[in-house]
Amino acid sequence: MDIRIFHKKDGGIIQLIDKEKMQDWPIELPLIFVEYIRSKKLDSYKDPQIKKEIEEYLNDITKDIAIPRMMSVLEGENEEEIILALIRIEELSNKNIEMVIPIKPYLENLINKKNKDIVSIAKNISNNFLKAERRKKLAQKRRVMREKEKEFLAGKINAEEYAKARKDYLTLKE
Amino acid sequence: MAKKEKNDKKELKAARELFNLYLQKEKEEKSIDLPKGTVKIDDLNRNETLERLYTIVDNTITKIYNTGRPSIQLPARTSSNIIWDEENDLLLLGEQIVEKQFHSLTSVADLTRLMRVLEIVNELLIKDIHATKREIFYTDVKLFTEQKNSDKSIEDVAAMLYTTRNSTHIVASAKGMCVGRLRIRDRNDIIDLEGLGSGGWMVSPMLDNIEIIESDAEFILVVEKDAAMIRLAEDRFWKKYPCIILTAKGAADIATRMFLKRLSKELNLPVFSLVDSDPYGHYIHSVYLRGSKRLSYESPFLATPNIKLLGVLTRDLDKYKIPEEVRLPMKPMDVKRTKELLKEDFVKKNKQWELDLSLALKLKKKAEIQALSQHGFEFLTNTYLPEKLTTGDWI
Repeated sequence: MDIRIFHKKDGGIIQLIDKEKMQDWPIELPLIFVEYIRSKKLDSYKDPQIKKEIEEYLNDITKDIAIPRMMSVLEGENEEEIILALIRIEELSNKNIEMVIPIKPYLENLINKKNKDIVSIAKNISNNFLKAERRKKLAQKRRVMREKEKEFLAGKINAEEYAKARKDYLTLKE
Repeated sequence: MAKKEKNDKKELKAARELFNLYLQKEKEEKSIDLPKGTVKIDDLNRNETLERLYTIVDNTITKIYNTGRPSIQLPARTSSNIIWDEENDLLLLGEQIVEKQFHSLTSVADLTRLMRVLEIVNELLIKDIHATKREIFYTDVKLFTEQKNSDKSIEDVAAMLYTTRNSTHIVASAKGMCVGRLRIRDRNDIIDLEGLGSGGWMVSPMLDNIEIIESDAEFILVVEKDAAMIRLAEDRFWKKYPCIILTAKGAADIATRMFLKRLSKELNLPVFSLVDSDPYGHYIHSVYLRGSKRLSYESPFLATPNIKLLGVLTRDLDKYKIPEEVRLPMKPMDVKRTKELLKEDFVKKNKQWELDLSLALKLKKKAEIQALSQHGFEFLTNTYLPEKLTTGDWI
């Protein structure tokens, strides 16, 4: 079987490549595929039942193919392979950090390795996670800040409360 | 009014029924049961092709050691060795074999070219790279003299290895274009054929690097002309009607035919063609349907036997009130070609097709797809195609 067929309630179908075919893919590609379908296509399928079924299939791909393949390289002894894999992961993390989330728990182990290149790339990826986390927090604070601004202008909060929120926001921004 | 028409989405009832019928049926068998008297050609991966190549070279060396008079055998590609498989509606290669002697003056130039191409194929496969037919010619201009000689040797090598030309990593430049509800993988990249603007994706001649990874299409529409493709792309026809649209911009090249075959086989969707209402348009449809005589040995990998001729049919000219001024008179060559098509077994087998070509011959009229724009630029996408796909008005 090369393709998995998912039937929609309206009679339409979604066809997705069978996960076994991903065994021959470059190691980072199954993860990219999962994230691609999740972020770009899933919402367009509309039918909640089919979304659920496809989400389950994507989880299976991550669990059965993407992570084991990635780990077989990252936990292996071949340092050249590890470096190549990490370079691809770093490129991905620069483009879309969400795509490489499953790799996060393994980073610490890689940072403690003796090979300087491995350590350096693993640190870069780790930094990308930190930056992304910071961006997320900042966006949240910005939302809060906007609310506070509105409230302050409407006279719902006093200057002291507004100044406190502003200070929190600026501290994080710096 | 125009806005209202635009939002008026048809159910495409007949096309949906065909789609459901395909869904119920098992997916097309991986291998076709070939009739007796025909040879089997395989689509091979890199290692399998290399294995076959080495077997041939080993056998030749053994012959040199044993007899001192080596020769090479390959299937004959003459018209007398081309067989029409009625059941699968394909043109196939028969079992006639040609033997080329290394020591014969008549075949020595041919054989030297053939062995040179074999050597190049070996290099391409080992390095896992591809080359165009033109590049092969330029690797040894003195030996090949003209490109037709290297092209012939390339086809001979593929036939000798009983494989497709693509399996030898020699590709022809492709001119096809595809848009619509399809996502593919090209080595390390995921390509969304909905997100490439109205230009779409240029069909890659290196189809062994391409993999279909996702689609929510319900049919495939093959369009003869670039102009019609632009209309469909600009109207984003696939958004309204879930489909994949493909064009070879005229005569169908190998890569486009092979890509269509893969789409049809792997996604198991109904395929419709939209060509000019003239013998050339019908011929293009027939090449998608059952392959060309020259590449008959690759037919099982290039032909799409379930493709339906959606339009523009001769009977459509009256039905859709195409004005007389855009109906063109048939030239003597058109009449000759139509008569030739009517003599073909695959046309005789399809009564509706025979009737439509006979009607064209009677009226001595032809028309281009663009003639439909007499009713407005959006007539094709808003009326003609949805109506035909709803009523099942195809051949």
